[in-house]
Amino acid sequence: MRTDLSHLPPSGPEEIRAMTSRAGLDLPEELIQQLIAVWPAFEAMVRRIPRDCDRAAEPAHTYRPLRIVRD
Amino acid sequence: MDPAFLTIAELSRLYDQRELSPVEVTRNLFDRIAAHDSKLHSFIRVTPEVALAEAQAAERELMAGRRRGLLHGIPYALKDIVETAGIPTTGHSKLCHDYVPAADAHLVSRLKAGGAVLMGKLATWEFALGGPSWDLPWPPARNPWNPDYLPGGSSSGAGSAVAAGFVPGAVGTDTGGSIRGPAAVCGIAGLKPTYGRVSRRGVFPNTFTMDHCGPLTRSAEDIALFLQVIAGFDAEDPGSEDAPVPDYAAALTRSITGLRLGLIEHWYADGAHPDLPPAMSAAIEILRGLGAVVEPVQLSSLRDYTDCKTTISIAELYAIHEKDLKTRPQDFGRILRNRVLPGALIRAEDYVQALRWRTVLAREQAMALKRFDALLTAGALGVADPADPNQPDRLVSSPSITMPFSVGGLPALNIPCGFSRAEGLPLSMQIAAAPMAEPIVLRIAHAYQQATDWHRRHPDLH
Repeated sequence: MRTDLSHLPPSGPEEIRAMTSRAGLDLPEELIQQLIAVWPAFEAMVRRIPRDCDRAAEPAHTYRPLRIVRD
Repeated sequence: MDPAFLTIAELSRLYDQRELSPVEVTRNLFDRIAAHDSKLHSFIRVTPEVALAEAQAAERELMAGRRRGLLHGIPYALKDIVETAGIPTTGHSKLCHDYVPAADAHLVSRLKAGGAVLMGKLATWEFALGGPSWDLPWPPARNPWNPDYLPGGSSSGAGSAVAAGFVPGAVGTDTGGSIRGPAAVCGIAGLKPTYGRVSRRGVFPNTFTMDHCGPLTRSAEDIALFLQVIAGFDAEDPGSEDAPVPDYAAALTRSITGLRLGLIEHWYADGAHPDLPPAMSAAIEILRGLGAVVEPVQLSSLRDYTDCKTTISIAELYAIHEKDLKTRPQDFGRILRNRVLPGALIRAEDYVQALRWRTVLAREQAMALKRFDALLTAGALGVADPADPNQPDRLVSSPSITMPFSVGGLPALNIPCGFSRAEGLPLSMQIAAAPMAEPIVLRIAHAYQQATDWHRRHPDLH
């Protein structure tokens, strides 16, 4: 049984405005309206990400100090 | 002799036999571009002075018997997110309209050292993501099979230019399918190599964890020749793999008898273009006839792979473009802006969970590749899209059949396997294998192309 966040209600326009503001974006109203229009599809996608990986499951991008090039 | 549709292998042979010269071919292809690209918009910029100087140098060296490599004297072009010293690199964006890099991308250095001939910089979706867009400084490229249709993206100009016979090969980039998609809908070959096989240094980033550079050509054999020149370790690309580069052309000579191929049919069984499943079935029968053993295999859904990849991508994309989105958001095209701004609302835990899920999905593919030498599926779910500015944005709504192998970081090659009856547009097959197993992918594709002629069909531009 997969666990995800699909059960949560979609964010409303005011919540999207608040999240945008918290991200430090001060967008013109036209662009805010565009973001409010497109965000629901992205939000649904993100909420489908499973949240039940094993505690020790590594992300697919790990830090490899030997590969950091020094100036 | 008209060199427009000669392959890289054929051009090299004719150079060796002194039946064609690099300068003659370069001039001929520029004439063809001048005659037809006003309809296709595949090039943002042609570089005739650079090309003719490189062609003349190649001609002198080849005449003297000094061959520098497999692409010596071969014309090619670059997606315009690949940096070129002294030549503008725009990302097809107003934001980089006047950007002139000081240095070449690593792969450009390799192509120069190998004596290849740079014909110009190619159209792309804005920063390899936002497209097709009609509100950018340059128009979107069109599909040479029918200019009322698009060539896919984001390596749109590369797909269009190679299919149109403007260049025998081009460099594209592929984060979720941006080499393979254009290859599929333009009827050519396009390889996304293993992650880390070709350096990304000097290429505008899209998604650091999934960006790949690779070739688009008209045959699998040419992919092998092109890859040989650009593959290899780069200590200054943190994602580069320090693994030996095999002789890719040598792999083409081996039979595919006995190879075990896992067919991922459920990815295209529903919702695909109606001509695609029969074309795939015919291709599979040909592979069986060549001795391969083809059996079904089940992986996670395209929806899962697309969600995982796109969540990772938009978070990284937002980080890349945050400064410009905060200071000059109107300078982005609408489609790119609407695809990147949502990244501002992704939480850190969403991004990390998507990266952890990527490991799970990649492991699923690795397990399948313990049973099979390669995986087969469709190269695209449909044919080219109409060139309609009012088409809805399907980045999130429509699952992608190329994204699974982006998530896995596996080598994946698209080759043509038929044409749709109604539109007369190309259909495509996708072949993937384990990390660094490009030789197996190329071997299967080449064997298929020795038994079929889809890759020998070309659009009539008149």
